[in-house]
Amino acid sequence: MSRLHCPFCGPRELREFRFHKTLPTEPGTAFAGIYERIDNPELSVEHWQHVEGCRGWLRVTRNPSSGAVLETRLLGGGVA
Amino acid sequence: MSTIVRRGTRVQEGQIRFHYDGREYFGQPGDTAASALLAQGVRHFGRSVKYRRLRGVMAAGSEEPNALLTVGTRPAVIPNVPAPRLTLHEGLVLRSQNRWPTLSVDLASLLQIGGGFFGAGFYYKTFMWPNWRTYEPIIRRLAGLGEAPGACELPPVAVENCSCDVLVAGAGAAGLAAARAAARAGATVVLCEREPVCGGELEFEGGTIEGRESLNWVAATLTELAGLGARVLTDTDLVGGSDGQVVLHRQRGGIAGADTLYRVRPRSVVIATGAVERPIAFIDNDRPGVMLLGAAECYLARYGVRVGREAVLFANHDRVYAAAARLAAGGMQVRAIVDTRSASTGVGNSLRAELERTGTQCLSGHAVIAVEGGREVRAVRVAPLAGSGPERRIVCNVLLQSGGWSPNTQSGAQDGGAREYSPGLAAFVAAEQPLWRAFAGTANGRLELCDVLADGQIAGEHAARQAGCATGAGAGAVTAIDARGDGAPRLVAFWRSPSPPQLEKKQFIDLQNDVTVADLRTALAEGFSDIEHVKRYTTLGIGTEQGATSAVLGAAILAELKGVPPGAVGISRPRAPFAPVTMQSLAGLRVGSAFRISRRTPLHAWHAAHGGVLESSGLWLRPRYYLANGPDAFTAGIAEARRVRATGGIVDGSTLGKIEVAGPDAAVFLDSMYLSKASTIKAGRGKYMVNLREDGMVLDDGLVLRLAPDRFVATTSSGHADHMLSHFEHYRDTQWNGRAVTLTDVTEAWAVIAVAGPQSRATLQRVLGSAWHEILTRLEHMGFADGHFQGRDLRVLRASFSGELAFELHCRPGIAVTLWQTLNDAGLGPYGLEALDILRVEKGYLVSSELNGETTPHDLLMDGLVKLGNPCLGRELLDRPGLHKPARPRLVGVRARDGRSKFLAGAQLCTENERTHPVGYVTSAVFSPTLDQWIGLALLARRLGEDTQLLARDPLRGGDTPLRIVPAVHFDPTGERMKQ
Repeated sequence: MSRLHCPFCGPRELREFRFHKTLPTEPGTAFAGIYERIDNPELSVEHWQHVEGCRGWLRVTRNPSSGAVLETRLLGGGVA
Repeated sequence: MSTIVRRGTRVQEGQIRFHYDGREYFGQPGDTAASALLAQGVRHFGRSVKYRRLRGVMAAGSEEPNALLTVGTRPAVIPNVPAPRLTLHEGLVLRSQNRWPTLSVDLASLLQIGGGFFGAGFYYKTFMWPNWRTYEPIIRRLAGLGEAPGACELPPVAVENCSCDVLVAGAGAAGLAAARAAARAGATVVLCEREPVCGGELEFEGGTIEGRESLNWVAATLTELAGLGARVLTDTDLVGGSDGQVVLHRQRGGIAGADTLYRVRPRSVVIATGAVERPIAFIDNDRPGVMLLGAAECYLARYGVRVGREAVLFANHDRVYAAAARLAAGGMQVRAIVDTRSASTGVGNSLRAELERTGTQCLSGHAVIAVEGGREVRAVRVAPLAGSGPERRIVCNVLLQSGGWSPNTQSGAQDGGAREYSPGLAAFVAAEQPLWRAFAGTANGRLELCDVLADGQIAGEHAARQAGCATGAGAGAVTAIDARGDGAPRLVAFWRSPSPPQLEKKQFIDLQNDVTVADLRTALAEGFSDIEHVKRYTTLGIGTEQGATSAVLGAAILAELKGVPPGAVGISRPRAPFAPVTMQSLAGLRVGSAFRISRRTPLHAWHAAHGGVLESSGLWLRPRYYLANGPDAFTAGIAEARRVRATGGIVDGSTLGKIEVAGPDAAVFLDSMYLSKASTIKAGRGKYMVNLREDGMVLDDGLVLRLAPDRFVATTSSGHADHMLSHFEHYRDTQWNGRAVTLTDVTEAWAVIAVAGPQSRATLQRVLGSAWHEILTRLEHMGFADGHFQGRDLRVLRASFSGELAFELHCRPGIAVTLWQTLNDAGLGPYGLEALDILRVEKGYLVSSELNGETTPHDLLMDGLVKLGNPCLGRELLDRPGLHKPARPRLVGVRARDGRSKFLAGAQLCTENERTHPVGYVTSAVFSPTLDQWIGLALLARRLGEDTQLLARDPLRGGDTPLRIVPAVHFDPTGERMKQ
């Protein structure tokens, strides 16, 4: 994974993006979401921002073992 | 100097002068350092890193483990350049490495006479008393490879990003066939070749391809590729690749800065990087004159260099006979061919009879067991492998060995590609590959020319298809490639010659790191069994060539020692770069002032012109103090702080982050982001607000100003605006799903001048004009007013970061200097970060030292804000029991018990009776001119009472200082001065 496909800007270099966090795989309390996480080596859902581009926040689903990006979705309703 | 003009595929007539170890030498255009020095009889190219044994050239490419030279003159040197990769140019200055004082006489080499050999783990086992540090300086001086460049200005390297359909690495037979097939299919092709010329082994192997003599085929193919628009990069290494990006590095002649780094994004990749010829382990196989057979052929064909007069060839395959014939034709005397295969394994080779007729002794089922001669090869000892034949001594001055070929699969394995052992090849080949990558030719384990070419062509077609190019009939039919080369090698694996156990320490496997068979045995005996553990314990294959010649050999010998097949041992995972790349090339253009941006405030030029001593604060450059106020930060800071409390001063606060939050949902949005509510702020007022991370720790603090019911400006700490903007945007776009809030970073739209001190209001009333007079009188703490100064926007906010009556002037950058100068002329002198820090510590105000990501609002005495009960982001986790335990820290003020001793931020706090377990630490400490003593803020375990006798322990800087606890607000605790 050295590129992400930004739904606005197209395929862009990873360095234009900033990783924010990995989302918890199971729904649970806020405490569990931060402290009781179980890593899934095959599936990771993450929030990234295209910080040096459109500044859009992306929901990236990927396989950390293979590096394959499975899905990239734009978050938010796109205000302004 | 040499008067004989050598002829070869690469050298031209002419003369190049260069220096090696202080002596002048000459080479021909096209020569490498290795070829030119070998041609002039130089045998010694350095000493080995551990045992300091004299070493010569072993190889003819970047796999060279011995002949690593330092290029250039101090301080602009490039160390560890393999001599065979170093194309000569006029005036080149070269030095051998790992020797002192000279290559010929090296004092450290006496170690090997006196102390015997340093085996694996020697340092850790030996240098234990009294401790390792006693020996470390000496050992560090002896250890290491070459010399790092000193501080010097090098020309910047070029970095190029490019993309293509198909990248082909390696322009040998397979690579050329692949590139041609892909280009004919319409793919855009980049072909990189690490040598200065294309052709690979075709350069000396001969043979015919598609009816042409092989070198003509190479030329014709290159012409066709150029016509099809393919890009050919010579002198260019494949450094590594992952995630669809491949990094190439072009290095020319060891000229500092003459490199190019390519970041290529191909749709598909063909790896046709060939193979590295493998040495065989036998006693003293590291002596100068022991070389790889293919290297000797390269030197002869490319540069017309005979690496020795009398050669013995030692191999385990049929190709040695064709090679011997070519070397003999080139004028070398081949004394003997030692073939490890027994006679019955079929040397069905007519060449052998021919060679024997011309005086070459051909010994089957024999092995070279040892080399005689210390400074260079004088003779070899040869013994039969089975039965009890006589041991022979054959005089020669060069031993040319070939233990088979290890495909260069490194570029595929760096990102985890599996490799599997191929018994027929006696080497590891790439296992299953992703669709976008194919190995081809010798790199794929093919050794016969027709197989290599066919493999390349298939890989090229496959790659073009993967890249989306049509390879059907429309793309042009590709004619079958018929070729004739050296034929099947009929190789039988042979890794090391028999040796008595006590001499296994002279059977070298990794010459660059002096790893021997004995080391592998030691590692096994001590429990290191996995190849990755053995690699790390013995340093096998961790050199600059990344085990090019040693990785397979080491794995196979380890397998032999363990009594398992090589496939069961596997091969260690290689790392990029495959060949050394200078740090400068990797840094690219991001060096010096381009390393990172520096941000300047609109007042930057004024500060610089008026003695402001600037320091980096995040990306910003800010004045720390002004030279007019004192010669150093300490003196000037105190003078500036004292003046602010006495009369007043101005400080550049433009770095303050400012985010405009607007829209119908702005107030509700900010409520959810901050610990206290923004929706209760009246328009025209500001409020001190704190926000939290998800886990409840304080993220940042700042003032939030309400400009209008639906419009706010949230200020952030200096340098935090970028992060806070992302934080806000994230929350808006995830939790709020894009509610109607716009977020704009307006940091640079407003310059900020903070005016502080008892005379601040009066001075502003004089300076800003009558329109502001009454406003300034009635402006309450945290109130602000918008207006104009010289026709431009000005916002005046009454807020204080010093505890004095103070105002922040937010003005347009264009009038910042005028406004600042006017205030300065009116008697308010500038102060810098040093004074700012003194003033805020006196008042117990917080900066990143306290808001350090590990502190909660409770830790920082903000219980009142939490009690307001606003359910903001991070609020929920603030109630975790762990955050309320007696061991949690609490902000306190600290002062020296004697009222005068100095202590510094970072000192650990202990109690008098428990001096080894800290109970907190000093976060900030300054000398307060107002209180005439050192004061500080600290985070201290809550369980401790206010009368606890503390000790600030700072062993590296100042020793112990007895401290007492005081309230965190050291000065004017009721805030009287601010209320004036």
